[in-house]
Amino acid sequence: MTDEQGGIRGWAAVRKGMLSGLRWTSLRLRLVVVFGLVALTAAVSASAIAYWLNREAVLTRTQDAVLRDFEQEMQNRAGALPEHPGRDELQHTAGQMAAGGQQFTVLLVAQDRDGRTVYGSSGGLNGFSIEDVPASLRAAVNKKQPLTAGNRSPYHLYWQRTVDDGTPYLVAGTRVIGGGPTGYMLKSLEPEAKDLNSLAWSLGIATGLALIGSALLAQAAATTVLKPVHRLGVAARRLGEGKLDTRLRVSGTDELADLSRTFNNAAAALEKRVADMAARDEASRRFVADMSHELRTPLTAITAVTEVLEEELEFEGGGIDPMIEPAVRLVVSETRRLNDLVENLMEVTRFDAGTARLVLDDVDVADQITACIDARAWLDAVDLDAERGIHARLDPRRLDVILANLIGNALKHGGSPVRVSVREDDDAVVIAVRDHGPGIPEDVLPHVFDRFYKASASRPRSEGSGLGLSIALENAHIHGGEITAANSPEGGAVFTLRLPKDASEVARRDAEEAAEQAGGAAKGKGA
Amino acid sequence: MGQNEPVPSLLLIEDDDAIRTALELSLTRQGHRVATAASGEDGLKLLREQRPDLIVLDVMLPGIDGFEVCRRIRRTDQLPIILLTARSDDIDVVVGLESGADDYVVKPVQGRVLDARIRAVLRRGERESNDAASFGSLVIDRAAMTVTKNGEDLQLTPTELRLLLELSRRPGQALSRQQLLRLVWEHDYLGDSRLVDACVQRLRAKVEDVPSSPTLIRTVRGVGYRLDPPQ
Repeated sequence: MTDEQGGIRGWAAVRKGMLSGLRWTSLRLRLVVVFGLVALTAAVSASAIAYWLNREAVLTRTQDAVLRDFEQEMQNRAGALPEHPGRDELQHTAGQMAAGGQQFTVLLVAQDRDGRTVYGSSGGLNGFSIEDVPASLRAAVNKKQPLTAGNRSPYHLYWQRTVDDGTPYLVAGTRVIGGGPTGYMLKSLEPEAKDLNSLAWSLGIATGLALIGSALLAQAAATTVLKPVHRLGVAARRLGEGKLDTRLRVSGTDELADLSRTFNNAAAALEKRVADMAARDEASRRFVADMSHELRTPLTAITAVTEVLEEELEFEGGGIDPMIEPAVRLVVSETRRLNDLVENLMEVTRFDAGTARLVLDDVDVADQITACIDARAWLDAVDLDAERGIHARLDPRRLDVILANLIGNALKHGGSPVRVSVREDDDAVVIAVRDHGPGIPEDVLPHVFDRFYKASASRPRSEGSGLGLSIALENAHIHGGEITAANSPEGGAVFTLRLPKDASEVARRDAEEAAEQAGGAAKGKGA
Repeated sequence: MGQNEPVPSLLLIEDDDAIRTALELSLTRQGHRVATAASGEDGLKLLREQRPDLIVLDVMLPGIDGFEVCRRIRRTDQLPIILLTARSDDIDVVVGLESGADDYVVKPVQGRVLDARIRAVLRRGERESNDAASFGSLVIDRAAMTVTKNGEDLQLTPTELRLLLELSRRPGQALSRQQLLRLVWEHDYLGDSRLVDACVQRLRAKVEDVPSSPTLIRTVRGVGYRLDPPQ
């Protein structure tokens, strides 16, 4: 069982290997076709020439021998016949003539004393009759040639090759000079034809073998070229996927090796470039993180003290000089703003560094929204359309950050009433925050989530940190969710938050990635 | 807080002079008696001499850090600890809760928030009713505010005790983390559910026979926790 499986798997592997080897990349196809054409032309022309030369040689030799024999017999035997032989005499002579070594059939034609035409055949070959002799040959044989200096006899020996029933024959005929019977002979050329046929077969097979050999050679040639090209292609793809440490093994000194070397240099340069940029990016990110961190310590002290000042302000009949009261209020409110800004900066750096994590809990979405609005005393300004009972597993603190930013933004720019609606959509919770303001200009729309984006330089400085919507978006992303901004057809801007109902999967994957990175970093440090 | 109640005494361990001074000022104005230490070692020494009601502990300290101070205190003492973390980085919070802290506050901390947390933690030790309940070998004496297991006294922090009391008041009923945060920690709706998880872990380690397979304090998936009456 296992053996069989192994066998099947082995076969599948072999087939796969072959398929990949035979993949008809156009270069491979072209090479095979060209090789094949060259081999075919060479083999076919060589075979054709060899066949024709052989054929002529074989046929001519047989023919010459037969005709010489026939001529001899005609002179010796037919010439010895009386001028008007009888049928039997003809038959006998024909038989004698055919008894020679060449195995041809003889037909003698003569006029008897009464002027009738008599035939004498040696028999065999299904009876060789005068009808078997082509008319043109008969005419040529019986035609009397004028005697000239170059032609000393009135009759000549003529021959012709015919095919009857697929068997080739040599037919020849001549007249005994000086009056006598006309003799025809028929000789089967079948043995020669068979020889030539087998020769043709062998040449055909040789041609086929040459074709196969050329195809294999072409494959081999293509492979030697295409393998490095393929490797280069794979390496380039890996490089494109961001595996910048991809390098090729350089072997040999040919053009392909040169190309590999160039590729390696390019990859090394790219890797260094990217590493430099990443390092610079990391450095600036770390700077922001460190900076906001460093700001925190003095801010903590200042915050604690400003609260003391604030209480002092609220204290009836306060102990603070009315002259400096505005100054104290300013310090208190600006400290709070500075706190928010630093808090947001820290949040942003955590997202940038990828250290932000979800702390999941099961919450009722409507309750969370109510609590968020309530905690910020927005109940009068917000119109909530949400039914209790929509539960989701998410990070309540982050949901609060998103909601506070979206609703706060709507209140600031759109004005009340702000309408917040919640609905379920498959595995997601969709929360829409709509204001009744002028909406967002089209050219600003793509930038609303940008950090510190200001619609125009002349716009008054807003109270927010300029990071709110960006942080909201990051918080949605970490849940595997999304926020989109648009203008409602009825006027006003609509921010639509879409969060998965269960973010556990996202959180788990995130944690795994973080663990992996930490492991990698530790390994890197250890090395 | 009634007039006759003793003023709670706090120990603030914080290395940064400005923050220490400011927090001392703020907390004193909120009506606490505040002793301060600038390092973990000093803090531990002061703890033995003065026996405060509560410790406010900075995580980033020179020498032994806040987590270690917390662990050392927990070895012998169950008094409440609130951590001040400079970062709300999750690992800090988790390590802090695992080392035994009752609550945490992220810097820059507002004095009022810190004060509210301090008072909430201190309230956890207050007696509420005069009955007792037993769950198998576990006996909760609400009058004496003690818990015994097989007749032996268990050393619980006020937070752990309060958590157990809240759960035991509704046996067999699942309480969500957010509910527990409100009941035990008195946090607003944005309480960190990891506080509950960490405290449940510590409580299980003390009251369960086999903490890794709890039979008393059960986790209810998708909801929270439940104290099961004995079978």
